[in-house]
Amino acid sequence: MTNNTQRPVIALAMGDPAGISPELTARLLSLSDIRDAAHIVAIGDRRILDEGAACAGLTLDLASASLENFEAAGTTRHVFIDLGHLDPADVERGEATLAGGTFATRNFRTALELAHHGRAQAVCFTPFNKKAMRYAYPGYDDEIRFVADVIGFTGKVREFNVLEKVWNARVTSHIPLSEVASSLSVEAILAELELTQACLKDAGYDVPKIAVAGLNPHAGDGGSFGMEEIDIIGPAIEAARAQGYNVDGPFPADTVFLRALKDGFQAVLTMYHDQGQIAMKMMGFDKGVTMMGGLPFALCTPAHGTAYDIAGKGIADVGASREAILLAARMAKRSAAQAAAA
Amino acid sequence: MNPTRDRPLALTMGDPAGIGLDITLAAWVDRRDLQVPPFIFLGDPSALSERARLLGLDVPVRETDCDHAVSTFDDALPVLPVTCAANVSTGIPNSANAGAITGAIEMAVQLTMAGETSAVVTNPIAKSVLYDAGFQFPGHTEFLADIGERATGKPLLPVMMLAGPKLMAVPVTIHIPLKYVPDQLTGDLIYRTCAITVADLKARFGLPSPRVAVAGLNPHAGEGGALGHEDDAIIKPVIDRLKAEGVDIAGPLPADTMFHDRARATYDVAICMYHDQALIPAKALGFDDSVNVTLGLPFIRTSPDHGTAFSLAGKGIARADSLLAALRMARQLADNAAEGKR
Repeated sequence: MTNNTQRPVIALAMGDPAGISPELTARLLSLSDIRDAAHIVAIGDRRILDEGAACAGLTLDLASASLENFEAAGTTRHVFIDLGHLDPADVERGEATLAGGTFATRNFRTALELAHHGRAQAVCFTPFNKKAMRYAYPGYDDEIRFVADVIGFTGKVREFNVLEKVWNARVTSHIPLSEVASSLSVEAILAELELTQACLKDAGYDVPKIAVAGLNPHAGDGGSFGMEEIDIIGPAIEAARAQGYNVDGPFPADTVFLRALKDGFQAVLTMYHDQGQIAMKMMGFDKGVTMMGGLPFALCTPAHGTAYDIAGKGIADVGASREAILLAARMAKRSAAQAAAA
Repeated sequence: MNPTRDRPLALTMGDPAGIGLDITLAAWVDRRDLQVPPFIFLGDPSALSERARLLGLDVPVRETDCDHAVSTFDDALPVLPVTCAANVSTGIPNSANAGAITGAIEMAVQLTMAGETSAVVTNPIAKSVLYDAGFQFPGHTEFLADIGERATGKPLLPVMMLAGPKLMAVPVTIHIPLKYVPDQLTGDLIYRTCAITVADLKARFGLPSPRVAVAGLNPHAGEGGALGHEDDAIIKPVIDRLKAEGVDIAGPLPADTMFHDRARATYDVAICMYHDQALIPAKALGFDDSVNVTLGLPFIRTSPDHGTAFSLAGKGIARADSLLAALRMARQLADNAAEGKR
């Protein structure tokens, strides 16, 4: 028996209309486990959604609502806010366009504002096309930057990659490899561990176990191939342990993910982008979830892209999008419970 | 009939305190079941016999020469004696035996260059043990290159390749701190590494037109310079030059998306910019049967992809899979090279 009042409200922004986003949105709105876990307020254009539903072979039973007062529509059915801002005739399937980017950025902005004003407890979105987003919003570096702009958030936001069995957080991300070593510090690593632990706890891991990768070949091999493990990473791990963290390392990067799976670590903290991304993508991260941690609300999306090559064919796999919503729902519920307890 | 078939592989002792002796014995015991190519062991016969006793293995060790090694191999483990100065204590390295360890390696190269043996397969050594005895090389590979240079009078660039059934990968830089990688990556080094790799794949791997994929250095291969300049400024010109020379080569590719199954089907060898860029995917694809191959030498050399594991020596738990793979690959490469020369 589901208690509807306890289901968090998740604002779901429709992503790029030229790819599989319409189909995925329609599928998400019809899944019973999502209905049990969350009350979805989807944002987009009803005509685009209906095309996605037709493509997926679904008939949707949604409550229509206005942006100003979607709450009036109740929570017995998922809600759709129709912004009426994109005619299907203007969609070029498989193309990144200004029209597509305008549609997706407006949906995303609207969803973020709902969460920012406390009207939703989490935000999810189906895949965006970065090129299209940039046509519509030239300052669009990545989701994190856009979110910070929209809600005026100045805190630290980090991208986590989430697979069923292991999470990946990274100390540095989109910077040149030559700047990685000089960007590492005990403080930076500790801050990252703190955020990782907090997000894992929100996701339901009470005592998260975190593995930390070294920077250098063989984790420096006792100082033979670099000193960062001894001077920076090791002391950061010691400091975290002293604060009660269940954290271990630095482990050689070439086996840290294998070790995490074998020894039951829930997360791996890597020092740079490809150190984690190579392993995660080989483990099927396309089926995983990207979570932006550090915001006042949960923000999740499937890790895969717009899949222009299979758009409109009705064969898109909803698995990663489903995981994204379920993770967001878990995190939203957990932080609500914590707020109530405080 | 291929004449090199009559010549055994030269298998060096490695550090006799480590698992090299264990896996050598295990490989010989399995010679019939696993069709292990005949080798001659260059090392201390009594240390080998003693380890067999310790492991409870009935292995007749027979001193012989290269001409009789193949015919001996079925009945006894053929040994060309290189005697240790001090008694071998299982699991406890002794730098007094450094002379025998390096002597066996020198002998293997000389025999192989003289055509007495068909390839060099090396058991693991521990550099620290050799350093205590005045060894001056960063590792096994550089030592082998030095022997080759002394024999040929020509400067050599040894190129390390990790070869497994699912991936062949060549790191351009190897055992150096990550922060030195960008400085070490010159166009000249990348060019020579690629050229040597292509030449060896043609001459020894039976690939008349090898397909080469080159990884970028930075996240997303630099994303047009936004995330680092090396991909466009240093790596790309090398690729253009090799293309103009007729090499089937692609890149610089984003490292995180070039190692999943579908991507790997498009190339024969991946050229990587640093150690972990090659080792993360190699280890994710399988531990036990990957082999180190040294390219660019005037002889064929393979080695198992693990260390001396002193703590496991004499316990009967060391796995011989990687040595078996190294022996098989050495045999295959020697046969390919002979085939190509006919």
